[in-house]
Amino acid sequence: MILGVALAVFGAAVPAFGSPYLMGVVFQVAMWIALAQSWSMLSATTGYLSLGHAVFYGVGAYVCVLLTGTIPFELALLAAAAAAALFAALVGMPVLRVRGPYFVILTYGLSELVRHVVMRIESALGSFGRMIFDVPATEVLLWWMVGLAVLATLGAYAIRHSRFGAGLAAIREDEVAAETVGVPVTRLKLLAFIASAAIPGAVGGLALLRTSYFEPAQAFDPVISFTIVTMALVGGTETVRGPILGAVGFALLSELLWSSLPQLYMIVLGVTLIAFILFVPRGLSGLVGRIGRAG
Amino acid sequence: MAFLDITGVSKRFGGLMALSDVSLQVEKGEIFGLMGANGAGKTTLFSVIAGHVAPSAGEVVFNGTRLTGLSPSRICRLGLCRTFQIVRPFAGLTVAENLRVAALYGSGRKLSAVEIARVVDAALEAVDLSDRRHLDAAQLTLSGQKRLEIARALATGAQLVMLDEVMAGLNPTEVSAMLATLERLRGDHRLTFVIVEHVIGALMTLSDRILVLDHGECIAFGTPEEIGNHDRVAEVYFG
Amino acid sequence: MDTLLSGQLLFAALVSGSLYALVALGLNLVYGTLRLLNIAHGDLVMIGAYTAFWAISLLAIPPVVSLVIAAALCALLGWAVYAGLFRRMLARPDLAKRVEANSLILFYGISVILQNLAALAFTSTSRGYQYLDTVITWQCVSMTGNRLLSLGVAAAVCFGTLLFLRFHLFGWSLRAVIQRREAAQVVGVNLNRVQMLTICAGFAVAGVAGVLVSMTEQITPFMGFPFTIVAFVVIIIGGLGNIGAGVLAGFCLGLVETYGIALTSPGYRSILIYGLFVGVLLLRPEGIFTKAVRS
Repeated sequence: MILGVALAVFGAAVPAFGSPYLMGVVFQVAMWIALAQSWSMLSATTGYLSLGHAVFYGVGAYVCVLLTGTIPFELALLAAAAAAALFAALVGMPVLRVRGPYFVILTYGLSELVRHVVMRIESALGSFGRMIFDVPATEVLLWWMVGLAVLATLGAYAIRHSRFGAGLAAIREDEVAAETVGVPVTRLKLLAFIASAAIPGAVGGLALLRTSYFEPAQAFDPVISFTIVTMALVGGTETVRGPILGAVGFALLSELLWSSLPQLYMIVLGVTLIAFILFVPRGLSGLVGRIGRAG
Repeated sequence: MAFLDITGVSKRFGGLMALSDVSLQVEKGEIFGLMGANGAGKTTLFSVIAGHVAPSAGEVVFNGTRLTGLSPSRICRLGLCRTFQIVRPFAGLTVAENLRVAALYGSGRKLSAVEIARVVDAALEAVDLSDRRHLDAAQLTLSGQKRLEIARALATGAQLVMLDEVMAGLNPTEVSAMLATLERLRGDHRLTFVIVEHVIGALMTLSDRILVLDHGECIAFGTPEEIGNHDRVAEVYFG
Repeated sequence: MDTLLSGQLLFAALVSGSLYALVALGLNLVYGTLRLLNIAHGDLVMIGAYTAFWAISLLAIPPVVSLVIAAALCALLGWAVYAGLFRRMLARPDLAKRVEANSLILFYGISVILQNLAALAFTSTSRGYQYLDTVITWQCVSMTGNRLLSLGVAAAVCFGTLLFLRFHLFGWSLRAVIQRREAAQVVGVNLNRVQMLTICAGFAVAGVAGVLVSMTEQITPFMGFPFTIVAFVVIIIGGLGNIGAGVLAGFCLGLVETYGIALTSPGYRSILIYGLFVGVLLLRPEGIFTKAVRS
């Protein structure tokens, strides 16, 4: 709760200071917070680790680029979120029957499949990347992105502390036992999947408006999925502040490394992820918690 | 009509007949015992009733509702819950949280926070786990986890609870403690139990009526005394 | 229609089928013994391909010799991974559990590291070389020497491995470990040794496949992933841990892919592969699971 308010205040303060570089950084940080929190709504709660969240981001971006110019951008963003949620609803039932490592690899494969299909459609239409003109001002986009980050954080918090969240935790611990004590497993998983897809759809739309350029290979880049998973797992999945810590940390690191040494950034991402899974399973937030209690 | 009415249930796994034409009626408020050697089909029968396994033939009617084809969670919300022979606690949640989930979802009604707390406390009390409510379920001993299974079934608000070998793997002290717990639960006449037990003494003491399964078929049915004197049962059990 | 019936197409199908069978064979061996799906498997193919490329361009060592070098190099890597990482981890129950739960994400991290290390060391430029590329025509089927060599080596390694598993004592103990790990230990199989040698063999096979691929295709740091996906499709169709059926499924996939593309266009290759991948996982989740659980 406090975190959400702090985030909002922080986001509101930035446009006032107004350096374009700073605004760019905050936009990135807010974007990754929104994505990592949305991911945690499904994956941290149920233990179904999605390695395919890029698909929702990409669907959102695609819908948004198709709609821009025809309707106001606010509506296009809503449509992007709705399309991502709808996509999750359509594929959710069969996809969520698959468990464990197979779910991880399936979500990855599904995201890649959609990427290739969209690439194929675009090249069949003779389009090699779409430019969009007349995008809203950077401040406006920043406001929206910070809003999404706050919304995702509040959403993740609300889910964890609700009846819904208790059911999802039971599913994570033992799906058969959960079913036996009355938890409607299939329905809850599907709802969590849809909830975790919607905001990334809008984020994809916003990111598109910011770069004002759409290219399917980029919009559905699997690196997005991998970055989300790394941020959330390194930050820690047991608390709501975990994904925030991870997103802030890596987004800042990416500012340092991405433009000069992108490969090094990816290597750092991979090494940190492995080290945290093996040796710091509770993530940064667990570490911070421990230090906080000790001090 | 009986509280739980099972007619002509069969289950085939490939070439194996795990259950063939099993029928039984459980009356409200009784303890109904199921007996049989390993592989006799007891656990399969539980799985069929609770909706984990679809029967090849026959039907199960509980409290006037046909259960066949319903999901386990739906069946639980109708008031029928089972435990597992190989315990399945929500290991990473605390004992109280385990029960809270059951209370939140098991009855199919929205309960208030106060009611939830009361259900959880009552279930903890019933199986003597109140002092361990804040432990992670994984930290409980086997006997503790078996008790948790029972408590979780109670917390769903089930009217009929099926206990699958809650004494298996316990030492003699734990068995007698568990027996005392079950005796106490039986005093609560709102509950009906179907129990599967390998500890025959316990089954004889607890049950009002007993059905004996052998290789998926009913071979005897009656009160504990009748079963004790049954030729075919003696043959199967004592050679 | 004529092209569909030509020996030309059949030859192409056999060449790619044998490669898929080979790559999948390595993945299947590692899965069979470790019970972990190595999503970085395709990156070993990449390493094998670079080995062949540098060997021929810097030292003028022909790919036939590189086959041995790449196999040795990858086997060494397999040994390092097993001795350095897995032996210790799998021996500690708390770590083993974590490794299993997050295996896919862990291996994806390893894959990201390998790809970006290669990109850092060799740049992302695609490389290639010419070797045995004169066209030989036989019964109106024209083929290049390198494809013929590729088919020959891949088929020989696949069938050699199958014969080895069937007739050599080590092959028996390996099959015993795949089918009943605990029981195999009881009857005196040295689990540690079998696991280590199998991982070395699985990695080496991927390295060999890499050399074969390098003779006909472009080499890039990111070339490996599609091979991982193909290998997954193959071993899921063939049955996890079922080595013989996996080889057969590899050839089948080669046929399906080659004829599928001939009927449509090369642009559909990725869609076909990912579509098959998603389809197989969606349609047989129980099948895959029961197999994994039973064995």
